[in-house]
Amino acid sequence: MGMEERILIVEDDAETAAAVRAEVEALGCSVDHCTTLEAGIAAATSTPYRVIVLDRMLPGGDGVEAMARIRAGGSTALILILSALGRAANRVEGLEKGADDYLPKPFEPDELRARLRALLRRGTMQVLDNDLLAFGELEIRLKARTVHVKRTHVAVSPKEFELITYFARNAGQVVTRMQLLENVWNLHFDPGTNVVDVHVGRLRRKLEEAGSNAIQTARGEGYIFAPKVAQG
Amino acid sequence: MTRARPANRPWAARATLRLAALMALAVTLLSLGAMALQYRLVENRMMAAQQSLLTADLDGFGALYDQRRIIALRQAIDYRTAASTGEEILLLLDREGKVLAGTRPVWPEGLAPTGDGFSIEGAVIFEETGRRWLAVARQLPGGFSLLVARSLGPVDDTLTAMRRGILGLLSAMLVAGGLVGWLAARSVMGRIGRINDLADRVAEGALDARLAGDRSEDEFGLLETHVHGMLDRIQNLNRATHRLSDTIAHELRTPLNRVLQKLSRIEGQEELTAELKAEMRQAIRMFDSLLDISRAEADQGSGGGLVPVDLSAVALEVWELYEPLAEDKGLLTESQVVPGLQVLGDRNLIAQMLSNLIDNAIKYCSAGDRLSLQLNEAGDRHLMRVADTGPGLPEDIRGEAFERFVRAERDRGVKGHGLGLALVRAIAARHGARLVLPEAASGLTLEIHWPRLQHSE
Repeated sequence: MGMEERILIVEDDAETAAAVRAEVEALGCSVDHCTTLEAGIAAATSTPYRVIVLDRMLPGGDGVEAMARIRAGGSTALILILSALGRAANRVEGLEKGADDYLPKPFEPDELRARLRALLRRGTMQVLDNDLLAFGELEIRLKARTVHVKRTHVAVSPKEFELITYFARNAGQVVTRMQLLENVWNLHFDPGTNVVDVHVGRLRRKLEEAGSNAIQTARGEGYIFAPKVAQG
Repeated sequence: MTRARPANRPWAARATLRLAALMALAVTLLSLGAMALQYRLVENRMMAAQQSLLTADLDGFGALYDQRRIIALRQAIDYRTAASTGEEILLLLDREGKVLAGTRPVWPEGLAPTGDGFSIEGAVIFEETGRRWLAVARQLPGGFSLLVARSLGPVDDTLTAMRRGILGLLSAMLVAGGLVGWLAARSVMGRIGRINDLADRVAEGALDARLAGDRSEDEFGLLETHVHGMLDRIQNLNRATHRLSDTIAHELRTPLNRVLQKLSRIEGQEELTAELKAEMRQAIRMFDSLLDISRAEADQGSGGGLVPVDLSAVALEVWELYEPLAEDKGLLTESQVVPGLQVLGDRNLIAQMLSNLIDNAIKYCSAGDRLSLQLNEAGDRHLMRVADTGPGLPEDIRGEAFERFVRAERDRGVKGHGLGLALVRAIAARHGARLVLPEAASGLTLEIHWPRLQHSE
């Protein structure tokens, strides 16, 4: 990630804050921690942070309602809401009010790490505006919506194309099932069944038949799109 | 869910109208009694007056007869005849029936003379050419017949006028009673109508609806004050429910979160921790469903938070999400979705509902079963039908399959918490959609009748 990134945690539960801090530090970022909403807003508007991890039911108010004040204070940080208000309706509300991501508690550390990585990466993704996403022998053409492996066309369904594009945008990083469901299908509830696995499995088989092992399972966490490694 | 709404018409105020009619009837009957009494009194008085006139005549003739018998009578009658007012009959006949003197030439038919005195005793009423007379007919010694009669015309005229007056008054009273009843009903319906409208708005979900203006000091004002008090209470309870579910979520998820964080630190027992995590996920899903159900039920009928949603697009998205899962399980899938059907809704809730239905179907069907999704227009509704040829609902839970935590004995072995269909029902109700479980030859068919989006712009 180059220079050191600063991340702000606004969280009143010490245990949760410690868990978040551990993940953030594992990503090589420095951490500031506030326990009240007012302190959080003050910090967010005075220091340039890359990401703010914001709780909702805080002493002093609701983090979602405070986002407007943080933005008005000039902060360009990406905001990840981390809240016990985790029903689909809460998540959609948070995203609609300007959060960049919304992770319900309880969360698994892997899930948080994947989301933080995705957010940290988001600011550095301008290169992906190109029409062609090339990963060695795997090529994705965005305008034509085609996928080629070793110059052979791989027929994918529209959803599979969105899936591989999302993978490609997060190449080299673990992508969780929840992230896929939210970003590819725009669904913000836990369907209980691992429907996503079936779709990823199909796409994966098509790529493998064409000779690419680009999609791999990250044990217990989700998937990782690592074409260069696979092509080795 | 549409209730027959009473129109705010005066005739709908049946109770008020009945009361008004009863009062009008009572007043009319009382007046009728009073007037009948007066009528009798007047009749008696006037009859007595005519009788005393007749008595005076008879006394006069009697005195004359005592002095000079028939001659005096004849002279007196002649004299009186000359000054006749038409209000009396005087007639004196001789033995042969020849008129000696009188105001008329013939003896009235059917009137037989009785007695021979000049008293009023035995006076009779006879009628001739429409007029009634109070008459005394006598056979005087020597075969002379004497008739002295007084017209009852003034009595009859007065009584007729009175009867006409009474009839007019009664009709006026009935009309006035009806008018007052109608006005009262209209005013009552106006006041009640305001409260009914308020109740309707509240039933449709606008819990904050209240009547504008001040409360009047009468019984309606009191009713309005009470209704407002009741609505305030309901609204507060609803707010408390919303707050409570948020608090439950917060207070339960925070400790669960700590458990999960600690679970992640356990090393070397991946299988066990993965199972524990899955159990926790299941528990969270369960109370999320419960919170979703109560929130959807609390918001039921209120249009708040609903936006135009392309139902066809959502249906297809969810279908495409699950179709591969069904195919992998060996189900034969089929979908017919008419594109572009719009509803006022919450996309995420609709997706959640359909996902629950399709997921359920896949869970209970086995290889070879059919699973289909249909969405098309049906009259003023959009008809969504999810049908499978699986085992269907067992008869014993068919009636209560949409209740929370209801599961068939048979399905104890299948993973699930019995909230899926309850959530489906709550989400349908939130959207004003009707759930129908049609009898199917095999498997489970579920129809959702969505209200169409009204294009008002």
